Amino acid sequence: MMVVFPSEEWFQEVRQAYNSDQGLHSGGGGACDTTAGFKVGEYWYFIEFEGLECGQVRQCTEQDLEATDFILEMPLETWQAMLKDVQANGKASSNLTLNSIDLEFEDGIARSPIDDQYRQDLFYRYNQNFQDFFDASSLVETTFESQA
Amino acid sequence: MADKPSGKAASVDREAKLVDPTQGIPEPSYSWRGLTNEWGVKVLPGAHGLRLGDVNVGSYGEVPDYWADQTRRPRGSVGRPGIPPLPYSLRSKHELWADCAADLYEEAIQRRWIPATEVPWDSLEVLPVDIEKAVCQMCTELSQCANTELEIITYWQDRMSYGYFEVKQYLATATFDCARQQEVLRKRALSNGGGLGIESRGRVNRIILESSGGWTEAVVYLYLLRGTYITRLLSGLLSAAHNEAEVFIYSHMLEDHARHLTYGYDHLKYASSHGKDATLIMQTLLAVGEGHMAAELNEGVVSTAMAIIFGGGIEGARTHGMERYLLLVRDFITDYLAICQELGIEREKTLHPVFKRYLENE
Repeated sequence: MMVVFPSEEWFQEVRQAYNSDQGLHSGGGGACDTTAGFKVGEYWYFIEFEGLECGQVRQCTEQDLEATDFILEMPLETWQAMLKDVQANGKASSNLTLNSIDLEFEDGIARSPIDDQYRQDLFYRYNQNFQDFFDASSLVETTFESQA
Repeated sequence: MADKPSGKAASVDREAKLVDPTQGIPEPSYSWRGLTNEWGVKVLPGAHGLRLGDVNVGSYGEVPDYWADQTRRPRGSVGRPGIPPLPYSLRSKHELWADCAADLYEEAIQRRWIPATEVPWDSLEVLPVDIEKAVCQMCTELSQCANTELEIITYWQDRMSYGYFEVKQYLATATFDCARQQEVLRKRALSNGGGLGIESRGRVNRIILESSGGWTEAVVYLYLLRGTYITRLLSGLLSAAHNEAEVFIYSHMLEDHARHLTYGYDHLKYASSHGKDATLIMQTLLAVGEGHMAAELNEGVVSTAMAIIFGGGIEGARTHGMERYLLLVRDFITDYLAICQELGIEREKTLHPVFKRYLENE
């Protein structure tokens, strides 16, 4: 089944793929407990990692993200470039990982909604869990908004 | 004379005496029973299991601002008169505390990894010799940084009061992380046809190891100044990784290092809000530390090694490789100033001229 990125349905499919196979988790082999937000174009998404799983992911408003640890924000084209690369290669190439993209932007891509450095640093502590999550989208047949 | 048992009866009697397990042991008094400060505590595991911070309940969770006890008495237990004091010199909470220490301890033991078997070593392929030399030089450099971190933590850990056991336990995991970093960097250097490179002059390592004014002083140099730079180096190495083995190594090192910085920044936040003149002292320390850091940045070993890695060889190093490294340093100084500002440490006005130059690089 083809799903559109960005959409709540797409994130749900990725969550299911990520949770179904722990072989996809290379991020340290341990628990990850954090809440985060994604700004994708004009849409906002909330995600929660609980232990070894992605507990929930859903579309939300910007206000809903005020209590999250951090928000990843990048232009729609950058999200699409990363995910198209994942679709093509099974995982993000080295220049299109969250880490590499973070280096490309002068202010980085992660910010704390309440300007709390401690919580923003969770992006670095759990960086691979998030990368693994997006790499799991290689298992989800994806079409992109402009193509839909 | 009493009748003696004879034959089989005598043999059984002798055996019974030989195996009597209480023979020679004084009658137990059990006088220690009931000696407790708080009894009947029953903490139940939560969604994430039974974590170290979860059992900080009642009197067991009271973390005093000053821990007068110089023994190894676990916090909350009953003290025994007459125990000789141990040389715990860090007895004020602001000298070592970070609220996140218990959580970081749990995170560290859950997110452990095993270089021997989990790094996909078979993904290593022969690299152009200049790149292999640059990677090996970075392994040599970072290995010394990890060793410095390990040594300064263990030096101060010995002096930290048991009242703040969360911090001591978390730091034990940090030293293990450092040992693992040394292990994995050595293995990377010696597993792809290269070898270890030249030893660093170690200017910043030296000021870290010689920071004798207290653990907070060491944290200023170890995490705020140099650790912030190492984060950028590891991010850069990860983005330029040549194979899956390097991706695994750098990404896991980066996550571990981020945890170390979380403790470091959180401790400095606590120290700056609870220690007398703490931010002024940190400002003075950093003015000195920036000079050493600037000298190290200008030395050229790390910069050229990173430029070769970024540039894909010596030719590329001379152009876009070095440009990318200079941006990395600029980003480090930007991060450093932002964290100083958050901690209330004034650095921008009197920033070291070399730092300023890197910052102006566009």
